[in-house]
Amino acid sequence: MTQNFTSLPQELQLATSAHVKYIQSLDSRKDEYDYWLTEHLRLNGLYWGLTALHLLGHPEALPRAETIDFVLSCQHENGGFGAAPGHDAHMLSTVSAVQILAMVDAFDDLETRGRGKAQVGKYIASLQNPQTGTFAGDEWGEEDTRFLYGAFNALSLLGLLHLVDVDKAVAHIAACANFDGGYGVSPGAESHSGQIFTCVAALAIAGRKELIDVDRLGRWLSERQIAGGGLNGRPEKKEDVCYSWWVLSSLEMIGKTHWIDKEKLTNFILSSQDTEKGGISDRPGDMVDVWHTCFGIAGLSLLDCPGLEPVDEVYCMPKSTIKRVLGH
Amino acid sequence: MADQGGSNHGIARTSRTRTEEQRQKDLERIKDYRALEDQVRAHAAKSDYSPDVFALTSKLLRLNPEYYTVWNVRRRCLISGLLSKPSPGSSPSKALPTSSPTATTTTSSAVSSSSLSTETPPALESQTTGKSGTTAEEGQQKQQDQQNDQQILQKELHFTIPLLLESPKCYWIWSYRLWILKQVIERLPVPVARKIWEEELGLTSKMLLRDQRNFHAWGYRRHVVEQLESPELEGKSLVESEFEFTTKKIEQNLSNFSAWHSRSKLIPRLLDERNADDEARKAFFEEELGKIGEAINVGPDDQSLWYYHQFLMLNLVNFVGHPTITPAFTQEERVTYLRREIEGIQELLEDYDDAKLIYEALFDYTLYLCQLQERKPNEQEVKDLKGWLGSLKKLDPMRSGRWADLERDLGLRVTMEV
Repeated sequence: MTQNFTSLPQELQLATSAHVKYIQSLDSRKDEYDYWLTEHLRLNGLYWGLTALHLLGHPEALPRAETIDFVLSCQHENGGFGAAPGHDAHMLSTVSAVQILAMVDAFDDLETRGRGKAQVGKYIASLQNPQTGTFAGDEWGEEDTRFLYGAFNALSLLGLLHLVDVDKAVAHIAACANFDGGYGVSPGAESHSGQIFTCVAALAIAGRKELIDVDRLGRWLSERQIAGGGLNGRPEKKEDVCYSWWVLSSLEMIGKTHWIDKEKLTNFILSSQDTEKGGISDRPGDMVDVWHTCFGIAGLSLLDCPGLEPVDEVYCMPKSTIKRVLGH
Repeated sequence: MADQGGSNHGIARTSRTRTEEQRQKDLERIKDYRALEDQVRAHAAKSDYSPDVFALTSKLLRLNPEYYTVWNVRRRCLISGLLSKPSPGSSPSKALPTSSPTATTTTSSAVSSSSLSTETPPALESQTTGKSGTTAEEGQQKQQDQQNDQQILQKELHFTIPLLLESPKCYWIWSYRLWILKQVIERLPVPVARKIWEEELGLTSKMLLRDQRNFHAWGYRRHVVEQLESPELEGKSLVESEFEFTTKKIEQNLSNFSAWHSRSKLIPRLLDERNADDEARKAFFEEELGKIGEAINVGPDDQSLWYYHQFLMLNLVNFVGHPTITPAFTQEERVTYLRREIEGIQELLEDYDDAKLIYEALFDYTLYLCQLQERKPNEQEVKDLKGWLGSLKKLDPMRSGRWADLERDLGLRVTMEV
């Protein structure tokens, strides 16, 4: 990126300190009704907030010990994690728990004070469908390539990918491919940028990227950029900051980020910031939330925006964490 | 992880400061909400899944349909008391949880006549008489159970409708509804179950009328169709009526890529099941080409249309190893069709010389032609390809990196030995 960031108007500069304060404030909003309505996302929210903080270079902005305590307080006997204490175990919160513990280097705490890595791995492995290779979100059986990716993500971080049938899962992903090069929720489903991320990243973790139709997929993904510079999730839909992550990281995984206009995308994300009170929204002028804040910042990191730590395109976590945990 | 709701989409940024009055109102709502939540969780912690708890979950889910744990409590209320116990050896109970608090601890609090009475027949009898040898009494009991189950399950389907209408992208409501429908198959006689499943098609049509691209609704519909076609519901193929449905959706709005996509997935099966011979396949292919050609004539900037057109063109060039519309086309026919399309698209340029998707299609399809004939582009084609690339660079500078790659590849293609 050759852009001179310091000469940009204020609304197009990264509002680092505002974002840090915004994320820190999220757990002190207990007098807001929404705080309680979103408790089922608490552990995911912690992952989104913590990832953003790590990428912003302020990993200490949330207290480490309390973070670990909270994560462990969400764990069930079967090894899985719920979204918050008293919530049922689910793949989505379990993956967030593992990602958070990886980021704050606390797998040891999981062994000594939690139920241990092996039990977490067992829980995740129990959700694989032995017939099709895909994964359910929990014991009630909803299946989706999001859960498959989540399983691969968490198990590989734990060093336990061998607990599942990787080949069968990979075959399932291949069955989700469409003529346009993209992937859907399940075989037969329309290509969707979010699901493309999950499928491509799962193939990356499995070391099977050769199955991807790179040219066709790259072309489809690059067409997600629309006039304002933002990316949409499917043809003829509106742009949204979170697709800055799903589309861009997928392009990165297939080596094609130069197929879109990075400067325009950078400006689109930056102009979706609330530079005063912090946070990023789906598009300029809308309400911010921690989800768009995380994926906006992760996108900016992939775009080499100055002042951000490099993000890993497969795990959506700092590259430094992945290097420490996986050794590469 | 992908969106699970709870994030803000399309809500205008407003001042985050509340008046004291608004704050007080929020505090009141929080108090009521948390009191309700505490009640449900206290019961669930004791594995109490009684009808009272069930009623509380209705209240709580109306306030917050994203609360997946409460949907699970509701499921447990159903299987540990409200619904009959599946008789031994009947349908597979795959749907039953393995790691949730077990239902057996709750019989005392969740007493319903059905759950008690299914325990009365001695296990020995059912073993010796086998599945078919049920007594009259048992038969009557079974019928009563089924009526009870049917009533409850249908009420559950009604319960989720207003929630779906309000939150059509909430994963948890859709998956709960599917779980209920799975219970329908496991507990009700096939004709009854089938009728209930058939009504789901109407629901998805309604949801897709409100939002024609809702991928939850499209996915749900695919699932419903699959079940309706399955032996479990004594089904037969619905491929014709589903294909018809995509036609209807496309007629309502040509730009509905979800419908075009669905069509691309249905076609191979449709032709197989019609036992379409080579002539019929050819006619079908031409009809589809005609349909999409007309659409492109009106909307040459619409990606949805070009993706479907590309799907048809890929049928001509990429026909080895996967189902295709026209497996019996000769090489000559393939070339003829491809040439005809390229010429037709070139004519479009007379009216729309600034529609970049036209240039992209011409570029791709010309290379398809070379691929099909296993040759390098000839002199005129190279000139054309370069010209189209020039237009693409001018009209679409956002993707200049891609055009540069295509230019490089084209250079390689021209110079390399075939």
